[in-house]
Amino acid sequence: MKKISDFINLYKPFTKAGIQSAMAYRTSFLCFALGQSIYCFVMYFIWKAVFMSSGESTFMEFTMADMTVYVFLSNLVGFLTNSDSTDNLADEIHDGSIIMRMIKPVNVDYSILTFEVGNKVMIITCIFLPVMIGVEIYRYAVLGYVAFSIVNFLIFVVSVVLSYLLSFYLNLIFGYLAFFLLNIWGFSILKGSIISFFSGALIPLAFFPGIVRTIFEQLPFASIIYVPTMIYMGKYSALELVFVLSKQLFWLVVFVVISRMIWGWAQKRLAVQGG
Amino acid sequence: MIYVDGVTKEFKKVVKDSGLKGSVKSLFNRKYNIVKAVNDISFHVPKGEILGFIGANGAGKSTTIKMLTGILTPTEGRIEINGQIPFKNRKKYVKEIGVVFGQRTQLWWDLPLVETFSVLKQVYQVEDKAFNERMAFLNEVLELNDFIKSPVRTLSLGQRMRADLAASMIHNPKVLFLDEPTIGLDVAVKNNIRKAITEINEQEKTTIILTTHDLNDIESLCKRIVMIDKGKLVYDGSLTEMKTQFGKYREVNMSLFSNEDFDKLNFVSEFKVNDEDIKINRSKEKITVTFNSEKISISNMLSYILKNVQVKDISVNDVNIEEIICRMYGKEVSD
Ligand SMILES: Nc1ncnc2c1ncn2[C@@H]1O[C@H](COP(=O)(O)OP(=O)(O)OP(=O)(O)O)[C@@H](O)[C@H]1O
Ligand SMILES: [Mg+2]
Repeated sequence: MKKISDFINLYKPFTKAGIQSAMAYRTSFLCFALGQSIYCFVMYFIWKAVFMSSGESTFMEFTMADMTVYVFLSNLVGFLTNSDSTDNLADEIHDGSIIMRMIKPVNVDYSILTFEVGNKVMIITCIFLPVMIGVEIYRYAVLGYVAFSIVNFLIFVVSVVLSYLLSFYLNLIFGYLAFFLLNIWGFSILKGSIISFFSGALIPLAFFPGIVRTIFEQLPFASIIYVPTMIYMGKYSALELVFVLSKQLFWLVVFVVISRMIWGWAQKRLAVQGG
Repeated sequence: MIYVDGVTKEFKKVVKDSGLKGSVKSLFNRKYNIVKAVNDISFHVPKGEILGFIGANGAGKSTTIKMLTGILTPTEGRIEINGQIPFKNRKKYVKEIGVVFGQRTQLWWDLPLVETFSVLKQVYQVEDKAFNERMAFLNEVLELNDFIKSPVRTLSLGQRMRADLAASMIHNPKVLFLDEPTIGLDVAVKNNIRKAITEINEQEKTTIILTTHDLNDIESLCKRIVMIDKGKLVYDGSLTEMKTQFGKYREVNMSLFSNEDFDKLNFVSEFKVNDEDIKINRSKEKITVTFNSEKISISNMLSYILKNVQVKDISVNDVNIEEIICRMYGKEVSD
């Protein structure tokens, strides 16, 4: 317990600073949120057209109502679990300002993480809660009963936390590439498209044919968006829940270990740029 | 306090072809050039001393500071500070040091300055009482009050540098590393910063290592200097000693009616001295001749000049320390 409270005391100021600096950029933040909402509605209308033209009411066990919830929720989860650590870290490595982190008695990865969590606090209050309430109202209107369950929601929260950490460390590893490459811009774009395709952000993985779907579901990317969204929608049985959550945990551990290894290696051979 | 023993830092510079193809190729088949940024340097700094660390651009000063602060691992050699090895247990080690890199900032860009201090207070776990005393002291010497509520991105360079210096001292470090703390500042702010450095050193017996290109910083702060050139230590001793060692040099500054006249002079053959005893620096308005006054007496020098050229104005001066340092660099280059 002592360790946890020490950790909180040490990194709390980073989260607080993260909240404050998110506030400093609230206008651009709101524009971003608006853009994402428009994107959600576009996706919604595309899927609606797909369902209408197929002439069937369900597609791969998804009703149109499911699909609507999926579009908004997966975006929401994408919001919550998205991490800018690739670009932030790569920039710091490039201009050498990462040394300003290293002269403080903190872990480099934790200090980036806890700062970003501060940004997430803004997202949770300004975007997540309103959209979630909207989704619940929609579900109630379509289904005629309250589909929301507290237990399910708590499991969803656990899953989102895991997927955020997973996504953070995955992004961090891409950021560390900056130690080896002068410009990681291309890799960063590639990573973005890989994540949005394989994580189910564009198309639910359930829509892919058998074997492809099974493969995709084992990849770490599925753990980032698809899994929490499906949990929220109550698509997993208890047994499946245990399985997908342990898979998330497994990938998280893998990425933490990899990123620690790269960092340890880089610290020994690190060549910080700039005078 | 600070022991540096035979420390070398090599950088591998990747030689790569241009373009994406070159990048990919260099990923798999890397060719390196090895650069010795710091080459076998040793020195010792006792507690409470302010050491001036000087050298030309690219001499290896910042690289040394980065090794001393635990950011870089030396390729060879040993560093011990406060009984600790900087890069071994970085998090523990950096609690006891303060660092300023003049070209960078450790302040939170988007937050009011005062927030940075409160973040640092928590990160270093400084008690309220100690923190308040410290802030009062820093406010007084560095005059932070005028802008302590402004976001850091709105500060001027001088304000930012004062704030950065304050930030490096908030936790009462045993050792301070200042890499060009006065870069780009006007005279008034420089004085301010020097005053703060002196006071912190006197009050807390803080050991300080400072790099700078402004020799006034050195003259007003350091009794001892270490000079490096191309990664090698070329001088370690007191400033006064260095001045006496090179004090035999004098310079004659003159302006002539016609600069072509000057070509008539040939000091080396006239006085039968070596090339290194004479250095000539010509510009449009002024000609400076630096000479070794042990080999050529001042009166001989003057009479030779006055006899042969028409002088508008002439004066003889001691060589300033910038000149001395230039000479020392020059000496290393010619070795
Ligand atoms: N990351 C790096 N990779 C390769 N070479 C480097 C790196 N950092 C520094 N160097 C080289 O090491 C040498 C010393 O650099 P350093 O920054 O220590 O100089 P300095 O004495 O601080 O100079 P200045 O007065 O210009 O700040 C330079 O030749 C520089 O090119
Ligand atoms: Mg430097």
